[in-house]
Amino acid sequence: MLKSMFQKIFDWLKTAGGITVAVSVILLALATWDQGPYILVNTVVTGGMLGLVAMGLAVILGVLNIAQFAHGEYFMIGGLTAYFVITPLQNYLTVHPNAFLAAVSPFIAMIFATLAGAIAGALTELLCFRPLRARSRANWVMNSFLLTVGLSVILVNGDLLIFGADFKGIVGYWQGAPLSVAGVYVSIDRVMAFVLAIVIVVGFWSFMKYTRTGQAIRAVAQDELGALMVGIGLEWIMVLTMALGCAMAAVAGASLLFMYPSYPTVGLEPLYMAWFVVILVGLGNVMGALIGGFMVSLLKVLTVAYVGEGWQFVIPSVLIILVLIFKPSGIFGSEVRGVLDQ
Amino acid sequence: MLEISNLNAGYGFLQILRDVSLKVNEAEYVSLIGPNGAGKSTTLKTIAGIIKPMSGQILFNGEDIGGRSGSRVTRLGVSYVSEEMNLFTNMTVHENMMMGAYTVRDKDVKHRLLDFAYGLFPRLEERRNQLAGTMSGGERKMLGIGRSLMADPKLLLVDEPSFGLAPQLTDQVFESLDTLRNEGKTILVVEQNVNKTLSVTDRGYVMENGRIGLEGPSSELAGDPHVRKVFLGI
Repeated sequence: MLKSMFQKIFDWLKTAGGITVAVSVILLALATWDQGPYILVNTVVTGGMLGLVAMGLAVILGVLNIAQFAHGEYFMIGGLTAYFVITPLQNYLTVHPNAFLAAVSPFIAMIFATLAGAIAGALTELLCFRPLRARSRANWVMNSFLLTVGLSVILVNGDLLIFGADFKGIVGYWQGAPLSVAGVYVSIDRVMAFVLAIVIVVGFWSFMKYTRTGQAIRAVAQDELGALMVGIGLEWIMVLTMALGCAMAAVAGASLLFMYPSYPTVGLEPLYMAWFVVILVGLGNVMGALIGGFMVSLLKVLTVAYVGEGWQFVIPSVLIILVLIFKPSGIFGSEVRGVLDQ
Repeated sequence: MLEISNLNAGYGFLQILRDVSLKVNEAEYVSLIGPNGAGKSTTLKTIAGIIKPMSGQILFNGEDIGGRSGSRVTRLGVSYVSEEMNLFTNMTVHENMMMGAYTVRDKDVKHRLLDFAYGLFPRLEERRNQLAGTMSGGERKMLGIGRSLMADPKLLLVDEPSFGLAPQLTDQVFESLDTLRNEGKTILVVEQNVNKTLSVTDRGYVMENGRIGLEGPSSELAGDPHVRKVFLGI
């Protein structure tokens, strides 16, 4: 029993994914030993949220077959909504201190942001992709991709027109002294961002694995016609998937508001980073996207620490080019397609 | 149970079916035979709601299902088994079976259906934890039929059950269809293996160039000089 488990782990370590994960862990350990624990903390905190954005991207790609290039705009919508909910709450709290409200107000803001992301996603599917799908499925990947690019332009400029170009940010959601983790002081906001990411990922995974609707989403990703044959309502699944994927980007935007103040093109960086992740792990691989989120985040942290600030987009880009040349299916990719399955 | 009248359908501007009319009675085992490209599969796909009809009527138990979405048609009790089965290749056999029962909410009914399907295909139960994508052609065919049974269909539409199978496996699949018919299921089967099909079904329709050419009891069709000449080469 134990031996076969070792055998399995050993076999996995010999795959491209296993090698990359092992190398990443070793690199992380070495860098932490060399530079101090802040490397580990930074990797883990930003990796969780990046994983969340990338998972949303991967699930939309897997189920709807859309190369979503407007994903960063849902990140922006999330941050914007959270800003407009949390600011009045915090203003109120400075006048009327209330410990309970202070503790729950960040969650209120994030719930609103999630809902806003989900609604925006559902509307996108209903108003943009459904009409396109009804018109023609020919050349779908290209047409839907171009549609997302146009959508991104509209959303960015809509934000600029309505809310202006200024930075709308907050100092932090939670008051209180930073926590000391392994000798590094980490603000409560960062800790909460990581905890939230893990909670959402576990919730999402359980939803996809154990609920009837989640299984239906996976079924659609694996075989659309087969899903139709067993009586799954495709239209509903597509709206739901889009809403879920966009809500994940929005909640990431909301919980990182203290790092990324909301402005029209704030979504660009998370969008690129999420695409790095998705290409790195293999298109449509949802759980891989989470691991990939940590790996790309590590790469970014290492680049900043050893190469220098400003190089953190160059190194991942070089890596993506290498991956596309030598293993286009991604490091966890395989010929079998499906959300949540490798 | 199923009554199709003057059905016209096709892909885009390409019309394939021309004024197709056919009828399947309750508990009947009916075959639709014909050469390649005659429109047999298109007929099944149109009934299953995968292709929208251009005109004509498809009545299922008195309800017009023409143009309804595939999931709606499945919910009404029509299960379609496609030629390539469209299994969920990255799910286990058991997960595939449970997905087949997507429209069934009642747990007890689900278990009854599962017992029935595993009883019909014991092989599937042996392989219940294997990924569907790693199974052999015959097993995949069994899983395709088994999964469609999980929706508790009143009418089963089976497209080319012998497609890509060795003769021995073909016999096995036909035997399981026989069992289903004896259980009182209504079956409409599309086949190119004319000899075999006409020897097991009750009635048959012969399709050529998108039209129904001949119809009648299978034994009569098997003796028909035109059928013998065109399909059996005798």
